[in-house]
This record gives sequence, C-alpha cells and structure tokens, in this order.
Amino acid sequence: MLSLNSHARSLCCIAVLAMMACAPFRTAHAAADAQQVAQLQSQLEQSLKAIDQLTARVRELESRMDAVQPGAAPGTAPATAGSPASAAPPATGVAPATPASGTADERLASLEGDVAEITAANAARHDDMGLPLHGFADVGAGTRSPNNPDLHGADVGSLDFYLTPELGERTRSLFELNFKMSTTGALVTALERIQLGYQLADATTLWLGRFHTPYGYYNTAFHHGQQISTSLRRPKLVEFEASGGVLPAHTVGLWLAGAKRMEMGRLTYDLYAGNAQRIVAGVIDTNNVGSPHGDAIYGGNVSFLPQALDGFRVGLSAFTTKVEDDLVARNLTRVNNYGVYVVYDTDRWENMAEYYRFDNDDLSGSTGSHNSEMGYVQIAYRAGAWIPYARYENADFDQTDNYFAAQRSGGSYFRTALGLRYDLDWTSALKLEIAETHLTDRATDTYEEALMQYAIRF
Amino acid sequence: MRYASRPERARSLLRRAALPLLATLALASFSVASRAEGLYVICHPSVAISASDLRDVFLGEKQFAGPVRLVPADNSSARATFLQKVLGMDYAKYLTAWTKKSFRDGVNPPTVSSSDAEALAYVKRAPGRCSYITTAPGPGVLVVATF
Repeated sequence: MLSLNSHARSLCCIAVLAMMACAPFRTAHAAADAQQVAQLQSQLEQSLKAIDQLTARVRELESRMDAVQPGAAPGTAPATAGSPASAAPPATGVAPATPASGTADERLASLEGDVAEITAANAARHDDMGLPLHGFADVGAGTRSPNNPDLHGADVGSLDFYLTPELGERTRSLFELNFKMSTTGALVTALERIQLGYQLADATTLWLGRFHTPYGYYNTAFHHGQQISTSLRRPKLVEFEASGGVLPAHTVGLWLAGAKRMEMGRLTYDLYAGNAQRIVAGVIDTNNVGSPHGDAIYGGNVSFLPQALDGFRVGLSAFTTKVEDDLVARNLTRVNNYGVYVVYDTDRWENMAEYYRFDNDDLSGSTGSHNSEMGYVQIAYRAGAWIPYARYENADFDQTDNYFAAQRSGGSYFRTALGLRYDLDWTSALKLEIAETHLTDRATDTYEEALMQYAIRF
Repeated sequence: MRYASRPERARSLLRRAALPLLATLALASFSVASRAEGLYVICHPSVAISASDLRDVFLGEKQFAGPVRLVPADNSSARATFLQKVLGMDYAKYLTAWTKKSFRDGVNPPTVSSSDAEALAYVKRAPGRCSYITTAPGPGVLVVATF
C-alpha cells in the first residue's frame, strides 16, 4: 500500500509540473493566433490565384489536344472546366502556391500528351505492317505412306509458305512456295503460285501468273492447307499432279475471278485461260514457261450461295485443253472436263461432294472418243474440337484413253475412309484415318491404311 | 480503452464495409451495363456502305464501296462483342474464315487496334477505313450501325 501511495503522489507531482510548464506556451500560442490567421489568408489568396493559373493552363492544353486530335472524346476533359474559379480571368505572373500541385498538374498534362501521341502512333503503325508470312505444315505416320502405299512408317508431309503483300489500292499479289517429299522421298521445291493481279472492281480481279486451277471446290478451297482441311488428305482424284492426281491442279495464264452479292444470295465466278498441260514421265506438267505448240486450256467455274440457306453452295465447272504426252507415239488428246459440286459448311456440318466427267477425244490417233468419270462424297460433323468424318471416292477411267493410259496414276479405283480430327487449338490439329482402297483395272489390288497426321498453320 | 465485443466489432465492420461495397456493386453494374450498352461500327466519312454490308466488309468479300477501297480494322477490346453481334461467329471460326480467304484470294485480314481510342484514331486517319468501338465516337467519323 505504501508503495502505491508513493507512486500516486509522484504521478500527481509530475502532472502538476507539466501543467505549470505548459501554461506559458499556451499564453504565447494564443498571442500568435492573429498573425497565423493573417498568414493563412495570404496563402489562401495565393492558392486561388494558382488555381486560376492552372485552369488557364488546362484550357490551353485541351485546345492543343483538340488541334492534334479533332473530335476527341469529350470524356477526356478535365473536371475543372466548370469550376467557379474558371470564370475569373487567369492571373499572370503569380507563382504556384505549392510546388507539389504544380508538378502534379504538369505531369498530368504530360501524361495526357503522351497517351495522345501513343494512340496516334499505334493507329499510324497499321499503315505499315510489313510483309506478313503465313503457311502450313504437316507431318504424319501410318501403316503406309499416304502418297505411296508401298512405303511404311513416319512421313514428312509438306511445308508451305504464302505471302500476300499489299502493293497498292488495286494491285494484288500472292506468292506460295512449297517444300514436300516426292513419292520416292526426294525433296521437291515448287513455286506453287505466283500471281500478280489487278482488282478492276469489287466483283472482278484479273490475275496473271501461276494459280490453282479453279475446278470444282477442293482444289482452290484447301490445296496445301492441310490444317484448314478437315480430312487427313485430299481425295485421290483431285490430288496434286505429282501426288497421283489426274487433273491439272495448276495453270499458268490469265484468271478472271470475282463474286457478286445479289438479293437471292452470292454468285462467284472464275474464268481462265493458260498454257495447255502435257504429260511427262507419267505426271501432268504445268508448262510453266510456255506450251510447245501454243495450245491452251480454257475453263470456268460458277457457284451460288443462297441467302436463305447459310453455308450451302452449289457450283459447276468445266475446262477444255489439249494434252500431249511423252510416249513414243506422242499422243495428243482433247480433254473436256465437266464438274458439279455441292458444299454444306456450317457450324455443325462440313459436307461436300464433287463429280467430274471426261469426254476426251484422241486427236493424234484413231481411238476416238472416251468417257470417264470420278467423284467423291465427304461428310463431317463438328462436335466441338472433335470432327469425325467419312468419305467415299470412286474413279472409273477408260484405259483406252491415252490421257489416262499415259498417267502413272491413271488407274481406276474406289476408296472408303473414316477419320477423326481433333483440334488441339486454333492453329493445330491431329487427324486419324483408316482407309481401304481398291484398285480396279490397271492393277487389281486392295490395301488398308491407318494414318495419323499433325497439321498446323501459322 | 474500451474493447468492443465480437458481435459489435462485426457490426461495425459491416457498417464500414457497407458503403464501399454498395459503391463497388453500383459501379460494377454500371460498368456491365455500359459494356453491354452498345457497339458502334464506324467508318471514315468517305465510306458509303450500309449495315447489311458489314459482314461482307469484315470477311473480305466486299473490298470497294464505289471507288473507295475499304480497309477494315479489328478492335481487340471489342472484338468478341462485334463477332457475336455482327458476324454471328466466334473468334476461332473468324480466324479460320480469314485464313481460307487469304489463302485462296490473297486478301489480307484486318489489322488490329487494341483500344477504342486507337480504333477511332485509325479510322479518322485515311479514307476507306472502318472499325468498331464501344463508346460514342463523336464527330469526324460515320456511324454505319449501332448494336
């Protein structure tokens, strides 16, 4: 208890002493109040003047920004625009009340200027996007090579680059370079397309160069783009020339193409004329540097996409050409080809069918006229990333027709295939296919294949 | 010093949090409403097209409006809304459609702006340009359609 009382007394003494010590200060503080109020009033006046100055500065910056960016969004206007101080004329020659507020305002103005410059610079950057390079690539494996059933195991598909440089408002260009393996494994480099064009109107572009021959649908829609094609490989009957195709997949010449939107739907058309192809060592050759006899191919393709049925397309195509082969007899054949195709491509379905008929005439011999036909049907269902598909193709070629007899892949066949595509992401896909092929005349044989492919685009 | 009991502290915390929470919710709903509010498809005043042309313009099927070459640009900040409302497709299908178009016809896909301000500045810069934004554009551009 004694100790408690002693402690309490000590505390009381300290409190009294502290109060006594503070008393003179409080008296002095009261005496200085009047002087401090006067100082604050002075500072307040200076602050008001500084606000006036800043308001004027903001207005000046706004007018500059408007000059740089006419019609800029009004939402960028500073909130001070309607303040009462803004009604007063701007003060001049008065220093800012506090350096901090002046710095902040300058930084804000500088930031606004920077944002405007960056936005303008980004918008201007679209004017020169350089030269975009795109392409496709695919590799695979299987019980047999998809291009040569006599080989087995893994295979390199192709690497395809294409460029579409912007050369002017109406000047168009398209270049495509392809690297692929031949059926024997040799590297083949091909200048797939070199097209220079001029867009005469919205519905008309005239191309000159080497292009994908616009017959049917598949050849121009997918060609080397394995990643954009649902199936693992092209139907054999519309394969590339060196991969077993019997149609000239490429033409060197003139190509007039376009599309016209009408009330009922959209009409597309292609008209072309170019060097007649020839057959060299059993393969169709495009005659890239000219036709030996000046013969030509003429053709066209027209399709209609009705407004009422989204995704549906029906078309007709035809071409005529004179083809010489390199057999000892040097046969010359008038090849007349007529095609019809139907496509139904929606979010769920990708169905297509093509049918071709040949009415060929032997111009150099006496075998007369020959009729052949070929076609395929493919049905695919898009179930998210999974796309199962089925295809049936059939080719019935007249083997007394020199055009088919001279071609290495000119034998008749039919093939059934079931496949499954899985989209790994937007730009890559895995595909599996099992197929059974029946060779029906030149050689009679049946073989099965189980194939896998990994295809990308970039 | 008085220590509040747990329920009191909870109530106090709730009271203090209520105002910011309500403000945040209000702002969020306003933001969502604003975002869903509108899409302005804009073109340079030199362009004479209608809303029914937009699908063809942004898929590369229509490249000229009279003598004026059309130059569409995507706006990544509003692309999902645009694709859904105007083209009726998702981004994957849009990319594939352009890959096919570019590969077949040699037409380049639209360039891409990253914001409304950039898209607006891009459209104003030269004749023939079109894009889309989520805020009212003000003067200097032609609003072809609002969604």
